[in-house]
Amino acid sequence: MIEINDVSYSYLGIRALSHISIKIEAGEAVAIMGPNGSGKSTLLKLINGLIFPDTGCYRFQGQEITENQLQDPIFAKKFHQKIGFVFQNSDTQLFCADVYDEIAFGPRQMGLSESEIGKRVNDLLELMQLDAFHHRSPYHLSGGEKRKVAIACVLSMNPEVLVLDEPINELDPRTQRWLVDFLIRLNKSGKTLITSTHNLELVPEISTRSILFDENHGILADMQTQKMLLNTDLLIKANLVDEYYHIHDGEDHVHFHDHIF
Amino acid sequence: MNQKYQIHPVLKVIFTFSLVILLSFSHNFAFVMTILVYTLFSLSLMKGNQILAILKISLWVSLFTFIILLPSNKYSSVMITVKVFTTVTTINMLPHSTKWSSITGAFKFFNIPDIFILVLDIAIKYIVMLGNHALQLIWALKLRSIGKNRDKYQSLSGIAGNLFIKSVEMSKEMYSAMECRGFNGKYITLEKKRLSMVDLLYMLIHIGIVILFFYIGKIVE
Ligand SMILES: Nc1ncnc2c1ncn2[C@@H]1O[C@H](COP(=O)(O)OP(=O)(O)OP(=O)(O)O)[C@@H](O)[C@H]1O
Ligand SMILES: [Mg+2]
Repeated sequence: MIEINDVSYSYLGIRALSHISIKIEAGEAVAIMGPNGSGKSTLLKLINGLIFPDTGCYRFQGQEITENQLQDPIFAKKFHQKIGFVFQNSDTQLFCADVYDEIAFGPRQMGLSESEIGKRVNDLLELMQLDAFHHRSPYHLSGGEKRKVAIACVLSMNPEVLVLDEPINELDPRTQRWLVDFLIRLNKSGKTLITSTHNLELVPEISTRSILFDENHGILADMQTQKMLLNTDLLIKANLVDEYYHIHDGEDHVHFHDHIF
Repeated sequence: MNQKYQIHPVLKVIFTFSLVILLSFSHNFAFVMTILVYTLFSLSLMKGNQILAILKISLWVSLFTFIILLPSNKYSSVMITVKVFTTVTTINMLPHSTKWSSITGAFKFFNIPDIFILVLDIAIKYIVMLGNHALQLIWALKLRSIGKNRDKYQSLSGIAGNLFIKSVEMSKEMYSAMECRGFNGKYITLEKKRLSMVDLLYMLIHIGIVILFFYIGKIVE
């Protein structure tokens, strides 16, 4: 479904992706991990057609995605409908006057009728326990509520692929739990899930496969998440743990130490 | 819900702007006062929390204007303050009583090019966002600088610079987010709506205001 072939990308001279090749099939749950600044967000932007490879090529469902291709409004609409992106920063993603309009924005662009849109929005508000926020302004919600609304906005277009950039950061433990369960359900229902995260505890739940970036913006490893978690050397290389990391009795019980003092 | 008395967004947009323009051109105190009374009356038809939200902004802005103008001539400072209060209230009532998507739809109705609507749209969305961002920066500054501090003003200019860089990035990212959700720079025209009795009444009142403006102007000359 997603085919990235030897792609490199720089922001005005700043290297962000270096010879990346990845293949993702429909229905997979993939985690993107790596140190800060290694290029995770950049890769996700590329997958969503917001930036284009300097060299190499990106295909979505067999179709090469280029700037020219996305100039075609009909193609662009179809492409963006199939793939939804939840940004790292929810603030810029929310730009409507109230939560209802926010969730309705995508379906309106798709040209659905107002009554159908109303049904979709209300279903989502209920599903995501956002009923009370109908007429609230998105700017004045808490961080976790904003994240939920941002996810609802993307789901209202019923995409096949869901791309999330560090969705579990800044959420309280209960909301984290809720979101992880929600993502698992979405994946079970057939949606392809691509998530960037630093969270080692939750990564085995939201992914079966992990792609690890190194500091040089290349791919360090692409393997089963469970296997990756057992490979301490690899995790240290990717800045995901420090030398104090260990696993008890080989079970996937991982704990973290505070090294403040 | 005051959904029942929704006035047609196209009328709303035309007459809000015509009111603001007439107000800014008028030198006649009676005319300005008439508009003030009319504005307060329409404001009183809104919901309590909306009235409060709108008044809060208009009163602050007017107070600020009044203080700045105080040293000048008393008559003109009152006149300008009333004008500012009425203008801010009128403009502020628009988004509270009409959905933003209907407002952009109304622009589209007048064949205003998409690119202008887009600039306006992003600018407005983003003023709110930037406002929030500035507030956060100012709080951060307050927390870091306790008590009286001469550096504060210097830091404020730092805030302005930071805000500018941030704003360029945020607006780019916001446009990306709109693109991701299927927006391609084209605004959708409003669904066709018939004019109701309330719409006609609204139209009559505002045409009356335009006539009043010219009539009063004549008398004075
Ligand atoms: N808009 C931009 N302009 C210039 N450089 C950028 C821009 N966005 C990212 N970069 C640079 O590209 C590199 C990759 O950034 P990216 O945001 O993809 O990292 P990341 O892996 O998502 O990091 P994090 O874990 O901190 O979110 C970094 O060196 C970053 O400084
Ligand atoms: Mg990132």
